[in-house]
Order: sequence, then C-alpha cells, then structure tokens
Amino acid sequence: MLLTLAWRNIWRNKKRSLIIISAIAVGLCCGLFSSATMFGMWDSMINTTIDRDLGHFQIHSKAFEDEKLVTDTIPNFENVIATIKTNNNVTGVSSRILIEGMASSATTSNGVRILGINTETEKKVTSVYKHIVQGSYFEENWKNQIVIGEKLADNLGIKEKSKIVLGFQGIDGSIIYGAFRVTGIFKTESSIFDKSNVFVKENDILRLINSDKISNEIVVRLSSVQQVDSVYIPIKNTFSNLSVKYWGDLAPELKFYYDMLIVQMNIFVGIILFALLFGITNTMLMSVMERVREFGVLMAVGMKRSRVFFMIIMETISLSFIGGIIGLILALILIQYFGSVGINLSAFTEGLSQWSLGTRLYTSLPFSFYPPLVLMILATAIIAALYPALKAIKLKPATAIRTY
Amino acid sequence: MVLIELNQVSKIYDETIIPIHAVDNVELKIEKGEFTAIVGPSGSGKTTMLNLIGGLDQPSDGKITVDGTDISTMKPDALINFRLHHIGFVFQAYNLIPVFTAKENVEFIMLLQNISKVEREKRAVEFLQAVGLQDRINSKPTELSGGQQQRVAVARALASTPSFVLADEPTANLDSVSAESLLDLMENLNQKHNMTFVFSTHDSRVIERAHRVITLRDGRIESDEIRNELAAQQK
Repeated sequence: MLLTLAWRNIWRNKKRSLIIISAIAVGLCCGLFSSATMFGMWDSMINTTIDRDLGHFQIHSKAFEDEKLVTDTIPNFENVIATIKTNNNVTGVSSRILIEGMASSATTSNGVRILGINTETEKKVTSVYKHIVQGSYFEENWKNQIVIGEKLADNLGIKEKSKIVLGFQGIDGSIIYGAFRVTGIFKTESSIFDKSNVFVKENDILRLINSDKISNEIVVRLSSVQQVDSVYIPIKNTFSNLSVKYWGDLAPELKFYYDMLIVQMNIFVGIILFALLFGITNTMLMSVMERVREFGVLMAVGMKRSRVFFMIIMETISLSFIGGIIGLILALILIQYFGSVGINLSAFTEGLSQWSLGTRLYTSLPFSFYPPLVLMILATAIIAALYPALKAIKLKPATAIRTY
Repeated sequence: MVLIELNQVSKIYDETIIPIHAVDNVELKIEKGEFTAIVGPSGSGKTTMLNLIGGLDQPSDGKITVDGTDISTMKPDALINFRLHHIGFVFQAYNLIPVFTAKENVEFIMLLQNISKVEREKRAVEFLQAVGLQDRINSKPTELSGGQQQRVAVARALASTPSFVLADEPTANLDSVSAESLLDLMENLNQKHNMTFVFSTHDSRVIERAHRVITLRDGRIESDEIRNELAAQQK
C-alpha cells in the first residue's frame, strides 16, 4: 500500500513528472548512444586489427620477443599447430616467417616488415586478401610474388606488376636481396599498416634464406573474441616454454584504450546522471513542499518518519526508473539500428585510416555495461531523494498540518 | 475513569525573545466517554491545547497523562507510535490522502498498525458503513462532498480503535446540513460506543451539543461547564 501511495503520488502532477521523466530518458539515451558510438569505434578498431594482422592470439619463441630475429624460431612448430587445431573453438591457425627489411623500387626505398606466409592458412586468420584493390592476392604458380599496401606502393612509386627488391638479413647474418613482382595491392583501414607490411609466400623466403621450414609466429583465430580466455590460457599453460600472447598483450595500446574507454563511458554517463540529479532533487523538493500539510497529517495520525522517508525514496526511485527504462529502451533501439545499418563517416576517411577505423561506424555496447548503469540510476535516485526526504521528516506535524 | 490529565501544563513559544504563554498553567481532567468542546476566542490557546493533548506538541512545563501514559517527555518517534494506537484525529480541512479512495484512506491507518490486509479491508468497509458511506467506498476525496470527506476522516480516526478522538474545528468547512449530520454521527458514536470526543471549536452547533464546554482565555481555563446530565453522571 505504501508503494501504491508512492506510485500514485508520482502522477499527482503529471506534467511535472513527465518533464523530469523525459529529461532522464533523453539524457540517458544520448549518454548511452554516445557511449555506444565510442565503444563501436573501439570495437571496429580492435576487430579490424584482429582481422587484418593480429588474430586472437599469437605464439612466438621467447627469444623472438627481444630481438625479433628470423633465427628466433618456434621449436617443433608443427606439433604446436597440431595441438592448437584440436581445440573446437579454433577456426584458423597460420604460421609466419617474420623479417624486418627494406623494400626498394627504382627510385626509393622503405623499411618494411616482411611476412612469409602460407597463402591458404593465412586466409583463415587474417583478412588482407579481402582488401585487394589492384591485382590479386597471390597467383598459383609464380615465384617471388609480393602483395603490398597501397600506401607503400604510393611511397615507392610503383603499381601492380612492378618489380620490387627486398633486402634483409639472412639466418647466417648475410644480407640477402630478392626481386619480387607485385601481384596485388591491398588497402586496409590502417594506412600505417599498409605502409609497413608486405606479404610474400613462405617458400620464396625459405628459398632465399636457404632454410628448411621454420616459423617465427603462429597466429590463431577463434570463432569469437569472447573465447580468447578459455582457449589461450590452456595453450599458454601447455606451451610454457613459448610466448603465448592474446590481442590485448600484442596491442597494449588497444587494451589500454579499451580500459580507458570503459572508465570514460562510466564517467560520461555519471556526469549526465549527476546533472539529472539536480533536476530530480528539484522535482521531488517541489513535490514535498506542495505536500507539507499532507506529511504533517501522515505523521500526526501515526506514520513513522522512517516510512515517510522510505515513501519519498520510493517515489524518486520510481520516477527515475521510469525515465531510466524509457531511456534504456530508446538507446537500445538506436544502438541496434545503427549497429546494423552503421553511421556513414566517409567524409573523414583520411583521418579515420590513421586510427585503423573503417568509414562506417557500427554502434555497440557490451551487455556488461548495463547492470552498473542500473545501479548508477538507483544511486542517483537515492541521492536525489535524500534532501527532500530529510526535509519532509524534519517537519513538525503540529505546524505542518496548518500549512496552506 | 480519567482518560486525559493535564497537571500544571504550560506552553511558551519564542521563549528566548518575547515569551508567549499559549497555554498557562492549566489543570484539566477529561473522563472516558466525554463529549467535550474546548472553546475560546482566537489566540486563546485552543489549538495549542489540542496539540498538547494529541501529542503533536510537547509542553514547556507540566505533565500530560493520556490513557495512563505520561506523554509530556516522550521522544518524537515514541509519540508517533502512541498517537497511532491511542488517538484519532479529525481535522478542519479533512486532510484525506487525495490519491487514495475512501476505503484506502481508512485502511491506511490500519496498515500503519500492521493489521493484515484481509482484516483491514473488512474493518474499513465496516467503518465506512458506520458513517453512512457504504456506497462511496471506492470514491476518491475529490469525488466526495465536504461532509462526506469529513465522514471518511471520522471513519479513519475510528479505524485505529483509539482511546479518544480529537477534532479540530471539524464543522468549520461544512454547510449546516452536513455539519448537523456529522455531529449526529459523532454524538451517536459517543452514546452507543462510549467513544470520547474532544473538540476545539468556534461553532455554536458543536457547543450546543457538547456535554462539557471548557472556555479558554489567554491560555488559561476561564470556565469549565458541564451541561449534560448524562456526562455529569459519567463524571
């Protein structure tokens, strides 16, 4: 009955209640949508990075971590790959040879990371083959094919079918040069990646360095990012002699950005709720001041102060939750809609590519964001109710009854 | 049986500036079953005395005993609890909860007393029947006339099964028909159920019906007139 009373009290002044409910709903909706936009950016950034290059986790020899030399190979890498493949959540495993070198055209040269790949398995872990803008990913039977980024091609002043010379240090320390023909030019969301990475077939590299099969890096792709912990931790424990790192370790700046983003989003929504707090307090204070005589009567006839206090808190919580739920529903609809259709940001292509972002932004907000939000709304309502509730219970019934 | 007893009770307002003796050294005893009116000009201390008897205010000096309990030194929360179980209030402006129906208004007091829902509903209907509002139990205060609202207020006051009912100018806002009807109801409850009523009033209709009329002036009892044989016998 006390809850009924609180609920009906909210609707005594419909216009005022609807205004504050609308303010809460719109404020929260905007806050959530902005957060979903920020999170969508990060999601896009991390997904494109995982898709393009990182995979969900990678394995290297521990020595490779320090110097990144081609000689720091993964021992028995084929056994490692076979073990990883037994996990049902693994959708792709690919081995790479990694060498730091120089790519030179007739006119200029550029420092690059040379990735010696198995073209078929690489397709299962990264998506560079989907970003070919000129030529093709790799032809079947040619030797010394190379796939380079558009930015590098521009820098070197070359195009498809042009020749390019790669220079790098071999296993014995000697400098090796190899001429490659550009079969494909890719363009990803990251101009930095496009400028500094070239893909060649691993057999071509092995032939140049005169080596048997080796691997500097194993890239693993899972069916979803949520499964990283459940797969990578057991593998990390199994191969304790190797360095097993998930995307957060491999791209700590992205992990840091994610952590900061969560804090930032909470602060952002917190600021919105803090601003709303004053509005709610004002509404409740007006409501209390209009009902001074009624509170006087309630206390006169025997309603304990704690119950009066609780009633005002309940009124405020109900008011806030109505606004909160409407805001949440509106935000969810907007986030779902723009999560599937996306927001067109093609006007900012150049700037976005610096941040590995695509031109279409898909909003998303993790479910884990919502429970703390509900608690934040609850806390806001309680804080907002405190002053009006204290004001009400401080009333003296004898005086309050005669207030008109 | 003495129900209400005031021993040398004083209430002084603004003690630090200019002391106003709203109630000045009053001695009073009200017996169970009385139908008493406290009268006097504005500023004579009627409302203050009613507040003191009802535990809405505390005396600056003296002792107030209600139903055998000294309420003059009770803490606010204890006083609220005491009022809930011992005193029924009827106010000049009815003061019903506007968002509740007549039945819910009556039930609410019993809710505060932690009476079960089934019992509350049963008793609320009984009390509303007793005040002649059986066909308006689901009406909200705004749908009732002033007289009907005051009847709901009486039912609400009785619902807590109080030791006595304090009525502050209960007929002040009513037309003469409604006022007479309300007074009939209260008189009837007094005679049939021996319910004690203490009124603060200016209304001659209430004064005419009162068994005892206490006149206040400047916070003191100027006269205390027992006007009814029945009340006199009870005393």
